[in-house]
Amino acid sequence: MTAHQDDTGGLDRRRLLARAALGGATVVGATALGGIDADAAFAAPQSPLDPAITKSSFVEGRITGISGSVLEIAGSYGDRSRIRMTNATSVWKVRPTTAEVIEIGDGLYARGVEMPDGTVAADAVWVNIVNLHTTIRGIEKKRLHLAHGHHELTGNVIADTTSASYAGRAPTADLSRLRIGQSAQVLGAWRPSDDSVDVVRVSVGH
Amino acid sequence: MLATTSSLAPVVLAVLLGWTGAWKLFGSRVVQQAPKTALARMLRSSERAALVLRGTALVELVLAAGLLAFPAYPLPGVATALLGAGFTGYLGYGLVIAPESSCGCTASEAAPVTWRSFARAGVVLAGGTAAATSSTAWWVTVVERPATSLALLAVGAAGLVVLSVDPDRWWLLPLRRTRLRVFGHPLAGKAAGERVPVAATVELLENSLAWQAASPVVRSGLLDHWEEAGWRFLLYSGVHEDASRGEGDGDGEGGARPVSVVFALDATASRDTAGAPAARVGVVDADTGRPVPVDLTAVRPREVLPVAG
Repeated sequence: MTAHQDDTGGLDRRRLLARAALGGATVVGATALGGIDADAAFAAPQSPLDPAITKSSFVEGRITGISGSVLEIAGSYGDRSRIRMTNATSVWKVRPTTAEVIEIGDGLYARGVEMPDGTVAADAVWVNIVNLHTTIRGIEKKRLHLAHGHHELTGNVIADTTSASYAGRAPTADLSRLRIGQSAQVLGAWRPSDDSVDVVRVSVGH
Repeated sequence: MLATTSSLAPVVLAVLLGWTGAWKLFGSRVVQQAPKTALARMLRSSERAALVLRGTALVELVLAAGLLAFPAYPLPGVATALLGAGFTGYLGYGLVIAPESSCGCTASEAAPVTWRSFARAGVVLAGGTAAATSSTAWWVTVVERPATSLALLAVGAAGLVVLSVDPDRWWLLPLRRTRLRVFGHPLAGKAAGERVPVAATVELLENSLAWQAASPVVRSGLLDHWEEAGWRFLLYSGVHEDASRGEGDGDGEGGARPVSVVFALDATASRDTAGAPAARVGVVDADTGRPVPVDLTAVRPREVLPVAG
């Protein structure tokens, strides 16, 4: 994955970061705490415990325009907002990626900090993310046929990205235990062009 | 053969119309389904839509009876063909003005208009035309050529089943299951099952003490990840508030500076792996690239509160 690796010095930067991590403190243990990965886009907004962190804002809607590093957003409830992308903003669109893949017409969830000029400086942006309760109705090499309510839905299986979680266990690349008729929670990215969903994670037996 | 087919068309049509008509007329769900149909959008009223659905159902039942009782007369066939043409027009119009709505064709389904709805309307149109042109009663054909008639009726029944969305789970899903059983699971073997996906590493990290320790610093979602020498590195961005750098620094940020937070975890470990996998954390100044000393060892595991009951 070369999401944020630029041509000049990308590897050097990675080496530097790797050294920093391996030289850093080793922390062992497993204690649950809220995440900020793709799942977190659907979690209830939590106010940070750290008083130093200013209140973070949450924005959702469709992208109606892109001017430079600012995204114009039309919210689902008629509200409008502007999101400023920075070099520290994480962008998720099926996978961690860069701001170049964001297109007009995409849906978006973003978390960030409101700036004095009214824009929201984004910490994290999730593009076209969907989280659907579905039933598996067909399994093919490249796609899953899903039913979401009464709607038929095509879920694209993406090599090296689609993972499955069985009965609450850790995500695995092994998709061969999916069965027709199972209820499946599908986390993925909606494709506006053909209304299908790129499946990122399918959880069954939960 | 063609004459046999057209003389049997009334039977197949009567079954289809009788089925959908009875559902719409006697089914209790019509009133619930009516607001979701394209008809409700056209008439701007769910009550009127329900009335029209019931009315159509009555027409369908009358036509079904007519087709069965008077197969040699052209009138029921012509009326059925007109109904089929009307259905086709309604579906086309509904698809344009309310593509998400259901067609209300069988009242038991809430599925949106699909090719099946059109095919069913086409069958009514074509079958009606065939019935109108046939001058032989279906019972005469059945008595004269029982084997052919039964075969044709069976084909017709199978066609109706395929064209209805409702019995999908009675035939389509078992068919797909059988295909999986015979030809093997299409997604088996292609994924190297041994490899731990990045999502699993991220999940492991988010359950770790390292994550808890670094959470006041981390602001972004996952920015980048890569593997090196058995480690999987996960990169985030964040802001580090340095208490030792005061307000007097002149940057107006109270000593806050942008940092990169990088975690290193065993690339083969996941939440299901036995043992306690180690996670390493490094914090680097985003501008200068210098390591930022952050005391992460001060964090102690949160104690799980006892739950009553």
